[in-house]
Amino acid sequence: MANYLAQFQAIKSSSDRLVVAVEDVSDLWPSVKEGFEARLPLKKACLNNKTRNPVYVENLPAEFILTTDARLRSRFPQEQYLFWFREPYATVVLVSCEDLDEFKTILKPRLKLIVQNEEREWFIVYVSKAHPSNDQATKMAKKVYARLEVDFSSKRRERCCKLDLNGADASFWEDFDSKIVESIRNTLERRVQFYEEEIRKMSEQRLMPVWNFCNFFILKESLAFMFEMAHLHEDSLREYDELELCYTETVNTPGKQRDFGGLEQGDDQAALLKPEFKPLSQIVQDDSFREFEFRQYLFACQSKLLFKLGRPVEVVARGYSFIISFSKTLALHEKFLPFCLREVWVITACLAIISSISSIYDGELAAPDIEKEFYRFQGDLYSLCRVKFMRLAYMIGYGVDIEKSSVNSASLSMLPWPKPAVWPSIPADASAEVLAKEKMILQANPRMKHFNIQRKPLPLEPSSLLREANRRRASLSVGNVSELLDVRPTDGSGLDGYQRFSPPSKIYASPMPRTYSGPVNFESSVSLDRPMRLSEIHVAAEHALNQTITDPDLLKSLSSLEEFEKKYMELTKGAADNYHHSWWRRHGVVLDGEIAALYFKNGNYDLAAKSYEKVCALYAGEGWQDLLAEVLPNLAECQKILSDEAGYLSSCVRLLSLENGLFLTKERQAFQSEVVHLAHSEMEHPVPLDVSSLITFSGNPGPPLELCDGDPGTLSVSVWSGFPDDITLESLNLTLMATFNADEGVKTINSSDAHILKPGRNVITLDVPPQKPGSYVLGVLTGQIGNLGFRSHSFSKGGPPDSDDFMSYEKPTRPVLKVLKPRPLVDIAAAVSSALLMNEIQWLGLIVKPIKYSLKGALLSIDTGPGLMIDESHMIEIDDHVKPMEDKVHADELDITKENAFSTVKFKLVLENGKVALPDWASDITTVLWFPVRAIDDRMAVAASADCPQRQSVVDGMRTIALKLEFGAFCNQIFERTIAVHFTDPFHVTTRVSDKCNDGTLLLQVMIHSQVKATLYLHDAWLHLQPGFVHVGKANGRPVSGFFPLVISPSSTAGILFSVCIESMPFGDQTELLQTQSILNIMYGISGDRTNGAHAPASLKSGSNDKLHFKVAIALQRPVLDPCVAVGFIPFSSDCLRVGQLVSMKWRVERLKDMEASNPSSSCNDEVLYEVDANPEIWMIAGRKRGHISLSNARGSRIEIIVTCMPLISGHVRPPHLGLPGLGDENISCNPAGPHLVCVLPPTLSSSYCTPA
Amino acid sequence: MANTACFIIVSRNDIPIYEAEVGSAMKKEEAAQQHQFILHAALDIVEDLAWTTSAILMLLHDSRNEDGIKSFFQEVQELYIKVTFCYYLFVFFVSEYFA
Repeated sequence: MANYLAQFQAIKSSSDRLVVAVEDVSDLWPSVKEGFEARLPLKKACLNNKTRNPVYVENLPAEFILTTDARLRSRFPQEQYLFWFREPYATVVLVSCEDLDEFKTILKPRLKLIVQNEEREWFIVYVSKAHPSNDQATKMAKKVYARLEVDFSSKRRERCCKLDLNGADASFWEDFDSKIVESIRNTLERRVQFYEEEIRKMSEQRLMPVWNFCNFFILKESLAFMFEMAHLHEDSLREYDELELCYTETVNTPGKQRDFGGLEQGDDQAALLKPEFKPLSQIVQDDSFREFEFRQYLFACQSKLLFKLGRPVEVVARGYSFIISFSKTLALHEKFLPFCLREVWVITACLAIISSISSIYDGELAAPDIEKEFYRFQGDLYSLCRVKFMRLAYMIGYGVDIEKSSVNSASLSMLPWPKPAVWPSIPADASAEVLAKEKMILQANPRMKHFNIQRKPLPLEPSSLLREANRRRASLSVGNVSELLDVRPTDGSGLDGYQRFSPPSKIYASPMPRTYSGPVNFESSVSLDRPMRLSEIHVAAEHALNQTITDPDLLKSLSSLEEFEKKYMELTKGAADNYHHSWWRRHGVVLDGEIAALYFKNGNYDLAAKSYEKVCALYAGEGWQDLLAEVLPNLAECQKILSDEAGYLSSCVRLLSLENGLFLTKERQAFQSEVVHLAHSEMEHPVPLDVSSLITFSGNPGPPLELCDGDPGTLSVSVWSGFPDDITLESLNLTLMATFNADEGVKTINSSDAHILKPGRNVITLDVPPQKPGSYVLGVLTGQIGNLGFRSHSFSKGGPPDSDDFMSYEKPTRPVLKVLKPRPLVDIAAAVSSALLMNEIQWLGLIVKPIKYSLKGALLSIDTGPGLMIDESHMIEIDDHVKPMEDKVHADELDITKENAFSTVKFKLVLENGKVALPDWASDITTVLWFPVRAIDDRMAVAASADCPQRQSVVDGMRTIALKLEFGAFCNQIFERTIAVHFTDPFHVTTRVSDKCNDGTLLLQVMIHSQVKATLYLHDAWLHLQPGFVHVGKANGRPVSGFFPLVISPSSTAGILFSVCIESMPFGDQTELLQTQSILNIMYGISGDRTNGAHAPASLKSGSNDKLHFKVAIALQRPVLDPCVAVGFIPFSSDCLRVGQLVSMKWRVERLKDMEASNPSSSCNDEVLYEVDANPEIWMIAGRKRGHISLSNARGSRIEIIVTCMPLISGHVRPPHLGLPGLGDENISCNPAGPHLVCVLPPTLSSSYCTPA
Repeated sequence: MANTACFIIVSRNDIPIYEAEVGSAMKKEEAAQQHQFILHAALDIVEDLAWTTSAILMLLHDSRNEDGIKSFFQEVQELYIKVTFCYYLFVFFVSEYFA
């Protein structure tokens, strides 16, 4: 059967659609042909697939062929059977008959004959030519058709349909279509069964010697092809998959040694998308096919079907794994294949799939997941192709152009060299090429990395090519490895290198015979015995490759360095783009790095920088510092060349920020010197440099600095420098941010230190001006290196970790500064609350109490108010306030004298311009300042009547003193207070006439009340009487001296009795006498402590006998002996007075003398001025308090004055008093004569608002 | 590179947080860098697979090598014990200090 292979291929290629046979019984085809063919392709066909499930196929192509056609005739039965898939799937019998008899006699037997073949699927189309207007003919046609149906249709199957040529009948065509499809379906099913049966039968023989894969293949592919014709692509694909499995099994059967293939011209170009690449008959080998071609053929068939199924993604996925697995297969047969055929095949295979896919796939209809996968496989294909391409290029000497990067090294250093049976040897006339390669190698100086970074270049070879190539040469033994060491000349000429290489090789005796015939003749071809040099290996490989490669594009790509770069760029870009589309960003970005390297090499620095930036961003973002350290110097170099100063600086900073171990100290110093050099140069566009990763900062450990409101301070901050050397900063500032108040904005504080940062930790002090209350955290560090401003945002990671999450360097921001809310920092109060002596120099004590705040350098300004002055003849004293108290306690226990305790702390201060500076020792303790002050009051004290004691006004003795304390480190704090100090006379004197004796002597009692908290000593007292009064017995007015000194304790009272009598004097002098006063003189001493109150004046020496003199005026009044007017208080009419009740006060005024006689000078002879005087707290007066009333001058005339009053308080109170200011007290006789009291009851209870029960 | 392995723990942000070379072979500088490179690129695959599997460990190896994998895991376990022991030692000292 295998002989039929060629025929099978020919049939397959000639028949591409299902055939429907037309049995034209009545010569109707020409008239119906057009109508029939218009139905093709079949719009919708329901077919059964291999598993008998219905499948709807749209636009199923088919072809009508007359049974008389040559294509359906002249076939041998054997052929028909073998290639059954091409036989008709339905037979349409076209008949026409208008006569019943004719039908019965001629047509029917003929039809019976036609349809008797059971294997055919047939149906009859009766064509009626009758015109609709011709009733007769129509009727006859109907009759014939009815007969036809009776004869050929059965209940099971309707086999007839009728076509009216002259009438449009839509239902016919539907019927026609369904009948064709039904026939095709049935035929297909029957044939599938047939093929399956055959295949099953053949499969059973698989392990027998008669097994022939070619026969099996023909059957299997016939079935697959039939499915394909019926558009059942899924089934067809399955058949090919099974075929592949079966083939793999066959080919792997041990025992038979088969040709692999791949040795023919053009085999290096992958044919995995071209099924028709080679006729199958050419690749037959015994009972099977050659693996090299056949597996590609199978894949081509599969991919063709996948494209038809609209699954290009699957083509890529299958294609990639096919290439990988086929490449492994190629490796197994590598020693029989042309040099590097495997690599070339992989390259062409990848490119073939990529190009076919990209032309078909538009990528818009697929789901995102599938799309991702599609791009990933494409990326993989590009990447694979790229690696193989690099491998080829490396072997022919283009390795100098390949970047020794991680990705290239990882791909190439783990990819084994090709393993040909014999390494190609150098052709005879290749000396010029060898020289050229030699030159290329020599010219390729390894590029010096920027910053003098020296790294061992990453390997691009799995093992030394020199060694590998020589080892695989037929004539060299494996043993003499030392000869094969890479002695690639790095300096001098290639010839020298060779000569240097030769002598040592002599030392090692080789088991192989070889000849070293003097100096090497370069012109001669390389002896087989001599190891090839690298340049020779390249030339040999190039020649061998040119033999292998037939693809002109690939040949061109390898023809020169420029072409190589072009292709290399194309492949790298393709891989990168596809990886990016597939979201494999790491793969993509890595390849971007390769693109960048190529751009860089070609001087396209702008694009190179952009690509490098992408790579760096990825590595930096994910924290892979080792990888970043490889790429970042390249980026920096691009930026330097491009004069991108900001970018270059930032790259240098990033390089410095990388882990220390990644670069040598020398290299790190180079980075720093670049930064410093640029910073001090004139930059065109100075941009602040972000050094967050390099210079970090944090507050010092421990509690934050606390400042009082308004205080400046000094903040100490740790700054870590990542520079390898000291770095000089022009300035260094930090911002403070309020934690709870974003509106506050940021405050910048400046460092006052010398700005040289050492590597590692530096402690920097910063001046903090007064801040608003609140907590502050460190914000941004800014500063300047040369002309370059920099800023750092990051907190230091140098401090101890605060949290378990050691990955998080962002510590919760700890406040570094707390400015406390305003609070009292100091208090100044008067030391003594009791009164001091008026008009004497007294010590005024001020307690200065710092409240947890130092008063160092404090300055107290004192401003005395009116009536008070500081006596500057005395020093100000300062005293520890607490100490005496403590000493008192300790004195009892330890017997320490109080004087000793005081002497240590008492200081004297000087007042300058109203200011006094507090001593340093007093800055933290409570102290008392003693000022000598004198309150001045020029008025003389007046004695009060004991009967109506007038309250002394406190205000009279009040003096104020304004204090202003400036303190704090910068005298920024100010405390102001005005203190009231009470001064008083030592005594308050009251007088009363205790008795009027019958002889005209008056006993004048003088009571002396002590006003101060000190013991007073009365040394002497005398009364200087006013005219009109004399001391009894003409004495000098002094009490008996034996009584003195009289001691008056604080707040107690003493009394002195004077006997005076009225001096008789002429009447006319009386008025003048009234104006004068008696003076009581008191000589006294005082014994008091200034810590309690009044004390001996500072001017007096302590313990001296100096006495103080106090004068008080006493008004004495002569009795009324000759009154002119009498005023009588008329008792109330009611029994009692009540609060809130109106009462009429009545006084009767009566003249006792004629006015003319008594007072001739009075002008207002008949009017008297009156005035009611009442205590407004007790009485409310309704009516006129003061006025004139008419009173006749005649003696005895009288009048009543009535004033309505209301008492306000209850008790015994003094009633209002009627005075006559125009007359003078000495002329008025009062009744009652002295002050008297009335009783006022509380108000009655009011029940107005109480309702009766 | 036959018997050397690179062991890296990567945080959820793809940052390498622990790195150790395990294996008997001498540490080669370029090999270390290449390991890093390969493992980093492998994260692309990890990202894809992370959604389809509940495994938390991925082993990237050249060829089928049961013994090699076994010894790798043994060494990793030793490392783990060393690291955790250091932690407990630290905790112990701290608790002693504050006791």
